[in-house]
Amino acid sequence: MTKIFNRKIGKEGEEIAADSLKEKGYKILENNYRTKFGEIDLIALKGNTLVFVEVKLKQTEDFGTPEEMVGAAKLSQVQRMAEFYLMDNPGIAKKYNSYRIDAVCIIQGRRITHYENITF
Amino acid sequence: MLTKVLSAAHFGLTPTPIEVEVNVFKKGFPGFSIIGLPNKSVEEAKERVKTALINSGIDFPNLKIIVNLAPADIPKEGSLYDLPIAVGILASMEIVKLPEEKAYFYGELSLDGTLRHTRGAFLLALSARQEKIKSIFVPATCANEATVIEGVRVYPVKSVTELISHLNGVAEIEKAKYSPSTSSGQPRDDGGVEFDFSEIIGQESAKRAMTIAAAGGHNIFMMGSPGAGKTMLARATAGILPPLNEEEALEVTKIYSLTGNIPPGGGLIKARPFRTAHHTTSRIGLIGGGSEPHPGEISLAHNGVLFLDEFPEFPRSTLEALRQPMEDGEVAITRIAGSVKFPANFMLIAAANPCPCGFLGDPKKECKCSPRTIMKYQARLSGPLMDRVDLHINVPAVDVDKLISADTQPATLNSKTIRNIVVKARKIQQKRFRGLKIYMNSSMKNKHIKKFCNIEKDAYLLLKQAVNTYSLSARTYFRLIKISQTIADLGAAESGERGQTITSAHVAEALQYRIRTND
Repeated sequence: MTKIFNRKIGKEGEEIAADSLKEKGYKILENNYRTKFGEIDLIALKGNTLVFVEVKLKQTEDFGTPEEMVGAAKLSQVQRMAEFYLMDNPGIAKKYNSYRIDAVCIIQGRRITHYENITF
Repeated sequence: MLTKVLSAAHFGLTPTPIEVEVNVFKKGFPGFSIIGLPNKSVEEAKERVKTALINSGIDFPNLKIIVNLAPADIPKEGSLYDLPIAVGILASMEIVKLPEEKAYFYGELSLDGTLRHTRGAFLLALSARQEKIKSIFVPATCANEATVIEGVRVYPVKSVTELISHLNGVAEIEKAKYSPSTSSGQPRDDGGVEFDFSEIIGQESAKRAMTIAAAGGHNIFMMGSPGAGKTMLARATAGILPPLNEEEALEVTKIYSLTGNIPPGGGLIKARPFRTAHHTTSRIGLIGGGSEPHPGEISLAHNGVLFLDEFPEFPRSTLEALRQPMEDGEVAITRIAGSVKFPANFMLIAAANPCPCGFLGDPKKECKCSPRTIMKYQARLSGPLMDRVDLHINVPAVDVDKLISADTQPATLNSKTIRNIVVKARKIQQKRFRGLKIYMNSSMKNKHIKKFCNIEKDAYLLLKQAVNTYSLSARTYFRLIKISQTIADLGAAESGERGQTITSAHVAEALQYRIRTND
């Protein structure tokens, strides 16, 4: 039951994040890119930069902020997945030279915060 | 793009050129890593360089950056790589053009983009001269110490922005010129000595012994009851030491630069070091050591004085570790990382009480210690160690009458007159040992004694007799000659005569300092 619920919440978050990124002029390439090793919530394009986005949605701040939930381990997983994606799509990797990892933290109904280039 | 910037690391007193290779990738995830065995202080350069460049108004590249410190097998420590890394990144981004001829970059960055005082700039200049590198870029506050070395162009850099305009030929940084600054007397200035010899009442024989010790660089050991004036005598000795000659000054400046003891703007150190170590000083603090070998107090006192008050309170292991450096004038520190030699040609002044209560042998106050405790206390100083001390003197308590009457009587000898004689005696010695890298009598080896010391026949007989009667060691025999030579030099300095032959009077005086009462 909870797993299905989590999945639903996650999907909601990704939709909210995608909408907000589109508003900022990002082009969404992939939604919830999945392999058997892991997943990337959103892959977007801004200008000539490929952006890998980790989305975190929390319903309340009672158990901590979404920012706290994006740690070093999560980031390295996203980076590994991003590298896998580039390997999987050599056409895209050749086309774009610069990459970065962003995070979108959402607290439902209260705020949407976009952090650019968080690994650096 | 790949760029290479030169800098230098210090391992002991020998600098090694280090190539800082910076590659800013065109492709890949943004990141910044430093390789080539950096320790924590080098690793942290990432954050300093990044922030300093951003605060200097530079768009820090959102790209993958790799910095390699080559050769990669030497461990790197210290903050000196900040500037070469920053310059490497700027050159990789084609913001600046590196100078065509080889140049060293050196210094720690502050977060606001200015450069901070970094230790070791003097050694960097030395390395530049060795490697035939014409120009070096150092923090502005270190420029003066680097300019001591001739034949190297020293550019004092205040901030990253200034350096960028210089390298791009917009606004040139003016080369630094050496100014013998006032602040360079780090160990002490002559005005900064606590006591003058004229302030010490009585103790004429101790003062004489101190003069001999200072003139010849001999080790001296003072024994006396508490409050007799041992510490005062030792501290006043700082005021009668001759100034460093040029070669000595270079040696001292090397060590002080390495340990970061040269203040901002300081230059060549001219005042003779006078170091005091408390008896809780660790063995490594005194001798030197650490996994990255660092000089200890004995090396900081090189060509100067090391004063160890409360000598028997030092741990036995610490004192015994002094034996080899006292004999050789240098200390070899061997660690896994390698072996390093630091010079440690110091004059030891040691002070001690005769027993735990301090009043053994005092004419007025009774000693309360049992024979066993006295023996135990005196056994803390081993025979071999004391054998290496040239002059042994007793500093008895001064009579109260003398203390009171001293207020009205002017003192006979002040530090200035004594210093003049000591300086003259030292000049005689330097003339004698010209070209030998020996500056004073105490550094003579046995072969030098044979070559330079002219002993009268009477004096020789007296020496022979003394050795037989007191069964003195071979080392003591040679040390006696050295002391006699210094006394002869002092005599020559006072009278202005030229001859420095050792007479029986000189030997007799030397003997009196050498024979210990409880031997």
